[in-house]
Amino acid sequence: MRVMIVDDHPMWRDAVGRDLTEAGFEVVATVGEGAQALRIAGSVRPDVVVLDLQLPDVSGVDVTRGLVAANPDIRVLILSASGEHGDVLDAVKAGANGYMVKSASRAELIEAVRRTESGDAVFSPGLAGLVLGEFRRMAVSPDPNTPRLTEREAEVLRMVGTGLSYKQIAERLVLSHRTVQNHVQNTLNKLQLHNRVDLVRYAIEHGLDSAPD
Amino acid sequence: MLALRRSIYTHWGWAWGVLAVMTVWTLATTLLYRAPLYTKPSWKTKVLLVADLLVTIAALLATELVQNPHSIKLGAMPVTATWLAGPALAWAVIGGVRAGAAAAIVIGACVVALRHLPAGQVLRSTDLDGPVILLMAAMLAGYIAKLSSRAEQAMQRATEIVAASRERERLARTIHDSVLQVLAMVQRRGAEFGGPAAEIGRLAGEQEAALRALITADDSVLLPDGELDLAAQLSLDAQAFVSVIIPAAPVLLSERAVWETTAAVREAIDNVRKHCGENAHAWVLVDDEGAEVSVTIRDDGPGMPTERLAEAAAEGRLGVSHAITGRMRDIGGSADISSSPGVGTEVRLRVPRKIQANGQAALR
Repeated sequence: MRVMIVDDHPMWRDAVGRDLTEAGFEVVATVGEGAQALRIAGSVRPDVVVLDLQLPDVSGVDVTRGLVAANPDIRVLILSASGEHGDVLDAVKAGANGYMVKSASRAELIEAVRRTESGDAVFSPGLAGLVLGEFRRMAVSPDPNTPRLTEREAEVLRMVGTGLSYKQIAERLVLSHRTVQNHVQNTLNKLQLHNRVDLVRYAIEHGLDSAPD
Repeated sequence: MLALRRSIYTHWGWAWGVLAVMTVWTLATTLLYRAPLYTKPSWKTKVLLVADLLVTIAALLATELVQNPHSIKLGAMPVTATWLAGPALAWAVIGGVRAGAAAAIVIGACVVALRHLPAGQVLRSTDLDGPVILLMAAMLAGYIAKLSSRAEQAMQRATEIVAASRERERLARTIHDSVLQVLAMVQRRGAEFGGPAAEIGRLAGEQEAALRALITADDSVLLPDGELDLAAQLSLDAQAFVSVIIPAAPVLLSERAVWETTAAVREAIDNVRKHCGENAHAWVLVDDEGAEVSVTIRDDGPGMPTERLAEAAAEGRLGVSHAITGRMRDIGGSADISSSPGVGTEVRLRVPRKIQANGQAALR
């Protein structure tokens, strides 16, 4: 599996790169700037991008958007130190598959990259809280196209948000591990789809969809 | 005017000379009076002000030499006409009300003296009108000039403060991010090495949580009167062993509801520390459901069977739980405690939002 690491702190780039290489991943690029990451992503073709949100040039949110636009199959895992809430939510809406805080252990990081590669959403409790909050915020919208959480999805998000593992949630709700994973995945898909539909609607409303004459 | 009223001048040529001096002086002062209003006048400006006054008085008194004495007595316009107001206004704008008044009085006195009126007649004649209007105009100009220079200074200071604090915020963000990176790294590596290094890692983790809570607490959000952001308050309580999980948007509740809920959460966390030992972790999840806000505190301690929880409650051994329930009841909310072995203990606090007449939850 090919991994690209985008982080402006050399200390972290090296540490994360070393950990992932030791775990058997192929680290194809480590870069310190967002623009550079966008430029070389096409040629180094990573499967997973481990991305810091705080970059000196382009914001992590914009890098996520650019990477996903250029290659919809790319998986982005946000690895952030400061956990700026708005940014994390925006990055996930822009197409990132998961979010971890940097203080997570080496084992957790490796596991997260592995799950990101297989297409599973990686939810920290913090991200679950943000996604839940975003659906709560949208719940008051009168627009019938606004995505809503099912009872079960809300329940699962709340459990992830209070630090329960998928295995513990599966036991408590008497579900399979896979079903729990699907519920979490669904919430993320709804949010990203809604975000894309919103962008398209915005483009149509502003006449950005028609080709220039 | 000079050309039209030739008859009142005895020395017509000289009168043109005075006019030429006035023209040159007007151009010179226009170029020289350029100091910014809000700085203290330099000595050059002061010299210029005095010179301006002297030149004007000289031009005014020259009327005596170039005009027909009879015309002067009858109240003909002096050579300087209204030009003589210039220095009084300049003094006022640069020196303020008092300087303007002084210059106006000096010029006014010269205008009156030019008429050679007997002392008794001065007060009764209309000749005082001009000087008095000049005096009032100069004082007003002085007042407005000081006012506007003060406003300009205040504006400049405000702009400087805004720019400085913005720059400080930008630096703080970068520095905070770097510090967080290092703390996270120390925590991570420390835990891997174990032993004394693990202790250092744990300390770094605590500081990381504290710093992150400080940054996340965004006090730039303007809150409606009497309301607080519950999420921001709770995130200040984040510690290495307590993760506070909040939505991106502020969770607004009445001040009292926020304080009581925060206190209840603190008691629940203290309880976790006391009963579940050093290694237990706690999560505090804030869920804003619109009509009510729920706060769930869960720990990963040993937990206990539900029967024992009920038993303890019946025997009155749930002192802390009582305190929590009491606080929530005071603000119209509730607290549920559930526990089972292996999953830890969960406390769920619910705070209702006031419902407005239209059936919509307030503030949503």
